[in-house]
Amino acid sequence: MTDAALRLMDRHNVAVDKIQPLAVACLELIESCLYRRSLYLMITASLAYCHRQIQTLLQCKIITEAEVKDLCLKAREILVEESNVQRVDAPVTVCGDIHGQFHDLKELFKVGGECPKTNYLFMGDFVDRGHHSVETFLLLLALKVRYPDRITLIRGNHESRQITKVYGFYDECFQKFGSANVWRYCCEIFDYLSLSAIIDDRIFCVHGGLSPSINTIDQIRTIDRMQEVPHNGAMCDLLWSDPDPDSCTGWGLSPRGAGFLFGESVAKPFLHNNGLELIARAHQLVMEGYKLMFDEQVVTVWSAPNYCYRCGNVAAILEVDSNLNREYRIFKDSDRSSMNSRTNPQREGPPDYFL
Amino acid sequence: MSITDRVLLNNHLRHEGLTTVSHDWTMVKAGSLVEKQTLVTIDADATVEDACEVLLKNGITSAPVYDNSKKMYVGMFDYGDLMTYILLLLKKMDVALEDQSMEMRDLIQRTSRSQNVPVKLASDLSGKDPFCTVLEETRLGAVVHDFGTGIHRVAVMDAGGNMKGILSQSSTLDYLMRHLSEYPQLQPVMQKSLQQCGLSNGRVLSVNGDEKVLDALISMSTNSVSSLAVLDDQGVLLGNISMTDIKHIMKNLRTSWLWITCFQLVCKIRLSQGVESGEDQYPVLDVNAKSTFGYTLSKLQATKAHRMWVVNDSGCAVGVVSLTDVFRVLSGLIDTDD
Repeated sequence: MTDAALRLMDRHNVAVDKIQPLAVACLELIESCLYRRSLYLMITASLAYCHRQIQTLLQCKIITEAEVKDLCLKAREILVEESNVQRVDAPVTVCGDIHGQFHDLKELFKVGGECPKTNYLFMGDFVDRGHHSVETFLLLLALKVRYPDRITLIRGNHESRQITKVYGFYDECFQKFGSANVWRYCCEIFDYLSLSAIIDDRIFCVHGGLSPSINTIDQIRTIDRMQEVPHNGAMCDLLWSDPDPDSCTGWGLSPRGAGFLFGESVAKPFLHNNGLELIARAHQLVMEGYKLMFDEQVVTVWSAPNYCYRCGNVAAILEVDSNLNREYRIFKDSDRSSMNSRTNPQREGPPDYFL
Repeated sequence: MSITDRVLLNNHLRHEGLTTVSHDWTMVKAGSLVEKQTLVTIDADATVEDACEVLLKNGITSAPVYDNSKKMYVGMFDYGDLMTYILLLLKKMDVALEDQSMEMRDLIQRTSRSQNVPVKLASDLSGKDPFCTVLEETRLGAVVHDFGTGIHRVAVMDAGGNMKGILSQSSTLDYLMRHLSEYPQLQPVMQKSLQQCGLSNGRVLSVNGDEKVLDALISMSTNSVSSLAVLDDQGVLLGNISMTDIKHIMKNLRTSWLWITCFQLVCKIRLSQGVESGEDQYPVLDVNAKSTFGYTLSKLQATKAHRMWVVNDSGCAVGVVSLTDVFRVLSGLIDTDD
């Protein structure tokens, strides 16, 4: 019984020994509500602020640098509490790479349902290559801050300082904000993102794939994730590896120069030993939007349609219902994006980070 | 042994081609490695721009040049030759600012028209890679010896003087790695560290990320190297520029890329490669002094790179392991066996 509850009972001349446990609980609840009333006003003001931010971002408009800093601070507080293997409850819709294709992300929300009505799990690679990496990432972050239990964001290999300097996000931040500050704030947030997620203990979601240093999900929990993605080791492998359906012979070095290729003889035992029914991952372009491998026990989900505004692929999302039934939904690029690729097939002017 | 090394060693021992009979890798015939090759050749009288088309279309970095009038092969044409040719002419020409964005084809057309240079004169221009031939019967031991001296590829000929195929350093490495389990003589060296092999440090020819691509290409040409490390102000490795990257410049047919910075070129190449293959590559391909020889070879094979930069703990380039270095080490094994 809290001190507050005792004081409350004292005020109302209620004898401690006469009161029922349930009543005590009620008293405590009322007391805490009264205490929280002062916080209530702060929270609603904050929610209204988040809501405004989300509305701005939904229109593909930029918020100020100061707002970005503030958003990142709020996001950090939420993300720091999350596990390296974040537990997610079904039903949830699992999404792959977005790569700054903001209008296609909105298309995704049209197809899958708006957040928070639909729960979402994004498997990383929010930035780089597309024209709107900034708006894309900030929107997802704002949604995370507003609805922390309805959207899960895990780290992709592009959520990294070194990679974003090469593949476009750094340049976009500089062009849109005039300095590298926003890029720095975002990179700090990247360090806090979970490495993976697990849906109802049965579906394991990670951006890249498996690691020869990891045999159990528990081992992932021991990684110190709050750092720049290392060049090798378990954390790097989880974000960089690829399944190799053509090979059954275990592990191979990746042609990417980081992470590994893993075959059926690695994937199946991992699934079995960890009581999993599926590994969902992203990281590789799939023309048909999604690709099942290893007797449908590993799936690649790719959510950036007409990748780089020219690949002509469709995108997919994986809808997992409360019984863990899976349905794949395909979608094409939005009209806004199509216009983009038609009028600018080979861009010469800015943004010149984009090829 | 690190986890990686253990994994790779087990992998090699389990690979296809498992046999209990031990073979001598040095005795493999050159002809057997090019058996299934479709030969691509360039006509000696073709224009330089058409020769580039051939390389680009077939996704290769070099092709033998055949002279119909002489009825023989007169050399090899590769990107190194192309760049040397362009640089020579650019040095002579003062390319006006408005011309800096013209199509590469036009540049070559213009320069070759004014100079009238057919491919047969442009081939082997770089002087780095003379046209070398071996017979089908030549043993791998001898070929590897040539590779160790800096020859990147040899033309394999039959007894009648017909070309059967081109055997390159890359394809030879790929062959050896695929059949490693058949050649136990190679296994001890695979487990040595780069330091033990004497490959962990050496001269690193580099260019700062802010320098212009054209200057880097000139530097490569002057120093007779096919690659430069791209470094930041602290000496940290950002990526690399090599002669084969020129194919990306050619593909996009923009000479304006000659005037961007080296780091920008690294980015453009990575962006381009990633879209083509559907998977993005890590910007730097490196190993460290403690990496094993076997790991380095596996990474060269997997990434299809021609060199691995050796970096220290801070990410600064301290050495390089090229395919030539690899074959020099392998060639050294043969000498010790004798």
